[in-house]
Amino acid sequence: MSKKIIYGLVGAAVVFFIISLIIFLQSDSSAEKAKPAEAQSKSVEKVEEPEFINLKVFFYTERSRYMRPVLYELEFPPIREDLYLKFMDLLLKGEENYIKPIPEGVTLRSLYYIEDENLLVLDFNEELIIKFPAGTGTELEFIYFFVDNFCYNFKEIKKVMFSVAGNNIKTLTGHIDMENPFYPNYGYLIDQ
Amino acid sequence: MTKFMKYKSLLLVLSLLVSFPVFSLTVNIRSFDHEGFTRLVFEGDSGFEYKIESSKKGLEIRLNKKLTIKSSITTFHDSRLIDKIIHKVERKKSSFTVKMKSPYTIDRHFVLERPFRLVFDLVKSPGEERIQQSTGMKKYGNVQQEDQDFNYERPKKRTLIERICIDPGHGGSNFGAIGKSNLMEKDITLKVSKKLKRLIESRLGLRVIMTRTGDAEVSLDSRAALANNQKANMFISIHVNGSFRKAANGPETFFVSLKATDQEAFRLAEKENKSFEEIDKMAEDDELKLILWNMAQTEYIKDSSKLAEFIQNELNILLHTTNRGVKQAPFKVLMQAAMPAVLVEIAFLSNPAEEKKLKKDSFLEEVALAIYTGINKYIYYQNSRYY
Ligand SMILES: [Zn+2]
Repeated sequence: MSKKIIYGLVGAAVVFFIISLIIFLQSDSSAEKAKPAEAQSKSVEKVEEPEFINLKVFFYTERSRYMRPVLYELEFPPIREDLYLKFMDLLLKGEENYIKPIPEGVTLRSLYYIEDENLLVLDFNEELIIKFPAGTGTELEFIYFFVDNFCYNFKEIKKVMFSVAGNNIKTLTGHIDMENPFYPNYGYLIDQ
Repeated sequence: MTKFMKYKSLLLVLSLLVSFPVFSLTVNIRSFDHEGFTRLVFEGDSGFEYKIESSKKGLEIRLNKKLTIKSSITTFHDSRLIDKIIHKVERKKSSFTVKMKSPYTIDRHFVLERPFRLVFDLVKSPGEERIQQSTGMKKYGNVQQEDQDFNYERPKKRTLIERICIDPGHGGSNFGAIGKSNLMEKDITLKVSKKLKRLIESRLGLRVIMTRTGDAEVSLDSRAALANNQKANMFISIHVNGSFRKAANGPETFFVSLKATDQEAFRLAEKENKSFEEIDKMAEDDELKLILWNMAQTEYIKDSSKLAEFIQNELNILLHTTNRGVKQAPFKVLMQAAMPAVLVEIAFLSNPAEEKKLKKDSFLEEVALAIYTGINKYIYYQNSRYY
C-alpha cells in the first residue's frame, strides 16, 4: 500500500517536472526571439555616440632608415573595414616632411579582411606596377610601410597580402616575392 | 612478503626498460618536386645512422633506431616520382621503403644538421639501365654487429664546392634601378658579375655558371632553375639598390629566412609589450605549412646566412660602412635555389654620391674583389668544419 503511494508521488513529481521544463523552454525561446531587436537598438545607440581610437602611424624620414611615429586620432566607425579604409587614407596621403614610399597616381582599389586567417588584402590599381621605381629598397619600403603600420595598430591583423587590379603578382620590380602574405618586420620601425 | 613483492616489481620494471630500446626516434618525411629533381627529406627529432639500398623497385633506408610512427604508410599523390613510403619498425631498428612511380636515380644525398635531416635529390632516369644497384650494404649479424655496421656509409657531410652560379640581376627590357644620369642597374650587375667570375675561376679554379652573359631578359624562375640543373653549390645574385630616400647608402647582403622579424624588432617589442612571440609563432606555423613544402632554399638557410655574413663583412671593410649585419627578405630568385644562396646589393643608385662611384670601373673591381674574398672565406670555413 505504502509503495503505491510512493510510486504515485514519484509519478506526479516527474509529470510536474516535465510540464515546468516545457514552460521554461518556451519562455526561454521567446526571450531569444526578442534578442535581435534589442541588440539592433543597442548598436544604433553606439553609432550615435562617436568613439575615438588613438593610432600611431609610422613614416619614413630622409635621415633615417627607420620609420618614425606620428600620432593620430580617428573616429571609430561601426564597420571594421571602414576603419581600415580611413587608416589607409592616412597612409596614402602621407605626412609633411616625411617620405611617402608610394608612386604618384597609385590608389587603393579595395581592401578586405579575412578573419579566419587574420589576413588583410590590399588591392592597388595598375599604376603600382607601371610607375614603381625599381629596387630592393623601394620594394621593401613600400611593403613594410603597409604591413608594419596595419599590424602594429590593429592587433587582429597578423599578415598582409598585396594584389594589383585584382590579380596576384610575382614581384613589384624583380626582387621580393609577392605571392605569399607578409608578416610584420618591426626592424623597420623606431619608437622615438 | 611485501618486501619480496617490491623487489619483484622493481625487477619487472628494470627488465621492461632493458627489453625496450630506450631511445626511439620520430621522423618527419616531406617531399616536393623542384625544377629538374624531386627532393625527399627525412627529418629526425634526433640524429640517426642509416644504410641505403637502391633497387629497381625503389629505395630502402634502414635505421639503427626504433621509430615512433603514427602511420605505417605515407602516400604522395601529387609527387612526380614518389608513390609511397612504407615504414617498418622492429625491436631495435626500423626501415623506410620508398616506392617510386617510375625509374629513378639518386642525384645526390647528404645530411644536414640542426635539425638532423637526411636529404635525397631524386631524378627520373630515362631508361631502366640507369637504376642504381645497392652499394656497400653489409649483412646483419647479431645485435652488436648491427650497431657496428651502422657506423659506415655516411655520405660526405657537405658536398665539395665545385660550381658557383653568379646571377647578374635584371637584363634586357628589365633595366632594374636607374640613376639620375641614366646609369642602369642591369649594366652594373653584369660588369661586377663578369669581374667576379674571372676572380673565382683564376684564383680558386672553380667552375662559374652565369645566368646571363649579355643584355638578355631572363625570368627569375629560369635563373634558379639553371643553378639547380647545373648543380651549382652556391648562388650569388648581384644587384644595385634603389630607395625612396635619397640618403639611403651602403652595401647590403640578403638571404631568405623563414622568420619575418629580425633582432632589431625587439628594441621596439620590449617598449611596447606587443605580442611579438605570438606573431613569430603564427608566422612560423604558417610558413612551415606554406613554404617548407615548396621552397627549395629551406634546407640551406643556415649556410646562406653564414655566406651572407662573410660577404657583408668584406664589403663593410672595403666601403668603411658600419656593420648593420646581414638582412633577410623573401627574394623570389633565392627561394627556389637548392643551394646556399645570397643576394648582394652593392650600393644605392638612388644616392647621387653612390651613383658617381658606380660609374668607376675601379670601384666595381673592388666590389668584385670584396665579394670574392667573402666567398673564399666561406669556402675555407665550410671545408675546415667538415674535412
Ligand atoms: Zn635589382
